[in-house]
Amino acid sequence: MNLKWRIGIILGLTVLSFWALFPRTVVERVKRNGEFVYDTVRRVPLKRGLDLQGGMHLALEVDESKGLVPDKSKAIDNALKVVRNRIDEFGVSEPLVQKAGNDRIIVELPGIDDPRRAQDVVQKSAFLEFQITDETQALDKALPRIDAALKDTKVAVATAAPTGNKDTSNAGLQSLFTADTSKKADSTKKDTAATVATTVGGPGAFSKLIQPGSMPGEYFVAQSDVSLVTQYLSQPQVIAALPPGKVIRWSSDTLSYGNRIYRPLYVLDAKPIITGEYLTDAKPNTSPTEGNLVQFTMNNEGARRFRMETARHIKDFMAIVLDQRVMGRPPVIQSAIGANGQITMGGKDLQAAQDLALVLRAGSLPVPLKIADVTQIGASLGKDSIHKGITAGIIAVALVVIVMLGYYRFSGALAVAALALYILYTLAALAGFSAVLTLPGLAGFVLSIGIAVDANVLIFERIREELAHGKTVRTAIDEGFRHAMSAIVDSNVSTALTAAVLYQYGTGPVRGFAVTLLAGIAASMVTAIFVVRTFYMIWLNRSSEAQTTLSI
Amino acid sequence: MFRILHDTNYDFIRWWKVMAAITIGFILLGLGSLAIKPPNYSIEFTGGTLMQLQFTQPPDVGEIRSTLDDAGIHGAEIQQFGSNRDFTVRAQNAAQVAAQARGAENIAVRIESVLKKKFGENSLRVIRTEAVGPRVGQELKRGAIIAILLSFLITLVYLSIRFEWRFATAAVIATSHDVFTTIAFLKLMHLEISLTVVAGLLTVLGYSLNDTIIIFDRVRENLRKGRKETLYETLNRSINETLPRSVLTHVTTFVATLALLIFAGEVIRPFAWVMAFGIVTGTFSSIYVAAPVLLWIERKWPRKTGARQSSSTVTPTSRTRRSPATATR
Repeated sequence: MNLKWRIGIILGLTVLSFWALFPRTVVERVKRNGEFVYDTVRRVPLKRGLDLQGGMHLALEVDESKGLVPDKSKAIDNALKVVRNRIDEFGVSEPLVQKAGNDRIIVELPGIDDPRRAQDVVQKSAFLEFQITDETQALDKALPRIDAALKDTKVAVATAAPTGNKDTSNAGLQSLFTADTSKKADSTKKDTAATVATTVGGPGAFSKLIQPGSMPGEYFVAQSDVSLVTQYLSQPQVIAALPPGKVIRWSSDTLSYGNRIYRPLYVLDAKPIITGEYLTDAKPNTSPTEGNLVQFTMNNEGARRFRMETARHIKDFMAIVLDQRVMGRPPVIQSAIGANGQITMGGKDLQAAQDLALVLRAGSLPVPLKIADVTQIGASLGKDSIHKGITAGIIAVALVVIVMLGYYRFSGALAVAALALYILYTLAALAGFSAVLTLPGLAGFVLSIGIAVDANVLIFERIREELAHGKTVRTAIDEGFRHAMSAIVDSNVSTALTAAVLYQYGTGPVRGFAVTLLAGIAASMVTAIFVVRTFYMIWLNRSSEAQTTLSI
Repeated sequence: MFRILHDTNYDFIRWWKVMAAITIGFILLGLGSLAIKPPNYSIEFTGGTLMQLQFTQPPDVGEIRSTLDDAGIHGAEIQQFGSNRDFTVRAQNAAQVAAQARGAENIAVRIESVLKKKFGENSLRVIRTEAVGPRVGQELKRGAIIAILLSFLITLVYLSIRFEWRFATAAVIATSHDVFTTIAFLKLMHLEISLTVVAGLLTVLGYSLNDTIIIFDRVRENLRKGRKETLYETLNRSINETLPRSVLTHVTTFVATLALLIFAGEVIRPFAWVMAFGIVTGTFSSIYVAAPVLLWIERKWPRKTGARQSSSTVTPTSRTRRSPATATR
């Protein structure tokens, strides 16, 4: 290959690399004042991993704690669509939602600032049911049986309450609006321990914790007793004693009477009159009288059913149940209701209404999901990592340059020039293949700067040997390159094979590391073998009389 | 021309028994200590919750611990992470991992809320949270082991093609040696085995293999020249001839590692430690494991007699790419 071609190729690669790395305008979807807008930003097209830009990684699995799911893979496929819809509306610039393996969904949300809200939106089942409150005083009739059942097992409850079971009660409470219940759950937990000591053991363990409310099927429980009642209700003996055909659901809100806070408990007809599957739209809204709410619309079939069912239940109270929680106080049915309805949010903010509308629109999750794995990295840590990584990189380059210049002089300078191209090409390759740059990847890149000169070192040492044998400069260079070649190829190929294995079996950051390593190997072979050779050729051609000494 | 270690003629391999004793001792020390106490696996492998917290004021570690204990989060490990305002909290024991199987986020939420209650809402920030279910960890562990074994297998095949099976086996044994010494090093340094450290280990393997291949490449070439010398002498000659290259490459790699170690921050430090050690063990194994093993294999399964003396082909797979220049040497 003649010199002109070589120079042309190097220039071409360099221009291509600059082009690949040139800051460009990209369209990003960002959320501004609660609205999704497309915005353009200019930035270097190097994708940073979650660990460098901050954000959240979630792995979701089917939650089988409430019953086995027969075909997990299919369930995950269906859930995937719902989760994707929700995330798309959530307004993250470059979200990733994908199936991993057979039974897992991976969600990556770069730059997310409110991880808990994100978890909530992803995980919320959003299963909407409309159920009529019980009119038959079924719970009142069942109370003696429940008390009796508890009396038999009170010892078990008393010992279990302070230590075990906390998490289950907690999880139950946290199924909705995790943010505020977590604090409540905390305070109630302490109270629980206290209540257990005083209440358990007396007669009517259950009945004395609840008092009838103002509508059929409504009961009030003091906020401090909520977790205890939840525990009682999860006892198998109590479940057996509950009235058949009815379900018991907590309200999502609390009420205060005087200085005491109560949480309503509702007894509902188990069969819902209609579910959220007919829902076609949901919008957040604010009403001066009812506060924040979500308005929804049903399709024709849903509207027909809803009209028919509500006509049968005029003057009854209808509970709007979302994920087994009664939203607001059940309204009385004045007349048949058609296609439109609304869910009041109680005291929740507009954000909560927006999120609820979002999950209702996106559809309910076909199976409950649990979070198997969550990583959340603050944006500041990511910035800090990049900053430190770059510092380390600059220092590494500086030290390598000193070593190379000090030891090989002029030839070292050629290697340093090639090293600059190496850095450029590697970064360009990463940008070109839209590889994700992670923190281990960054470390691998810094390390590769040290290793990249290995090929140069091999070649230079060979040239020195040839010169020592009395070869002319031109022959020594040719021979040096030729002899070093097999070692360079073999060592690089075997490293590349290892990197490929890493890529195949690694996850997340490690995969990023493997990609960086591969790009680095390719770039170092090009620069060390091809670029440095070309530099030598330029140098040899520069003057007409052959160069007689080589600084190496 | 400034040269180091030029035209040396050290008898490296003579010391192999001493070196074998040293490295076996080191490995046994590491493995023995492993038998007494299992290694520290990171959250990624064991499952559990790791939180990195930044406080506005340097907090009292004892106070953090007692707050967590009061909240029922027992046995959490609290460590300073960089400055005295940065801490990591690890909830990694079996009970916590089991609780997490029900939903990974719970413990992190609880830790944050109890600490904020204790120290004040704005007194700390959660910089990073990692919560991993036990299943994910198991899969990762298996993935890491498969990755290492598979990379060995691929290396074995590749080197068998490019060199021959004797060289390939010696190189893979030398590399396996590095796995053991690095594990011993991790244990003795109390470094946590994380995904990043596994990546570091694999890099070390690649690097060590590199080094072995460079020396073996010389051996291959010297054998082709058909000098009247034993393999022992050829190996020594090859190591000496590649010595300047080895030193220089190790120096440049080491300065890059040093930059990482000092400047790249806490998260990357374990990786940098592994790499720093890897440079040492990789160099060592190329000389004192690969070469003696190759000699041993050669004695056990010798090549066809006369092959080494013949100037044409040394091994069935090697290709003659000799230039006239070297032939006239």
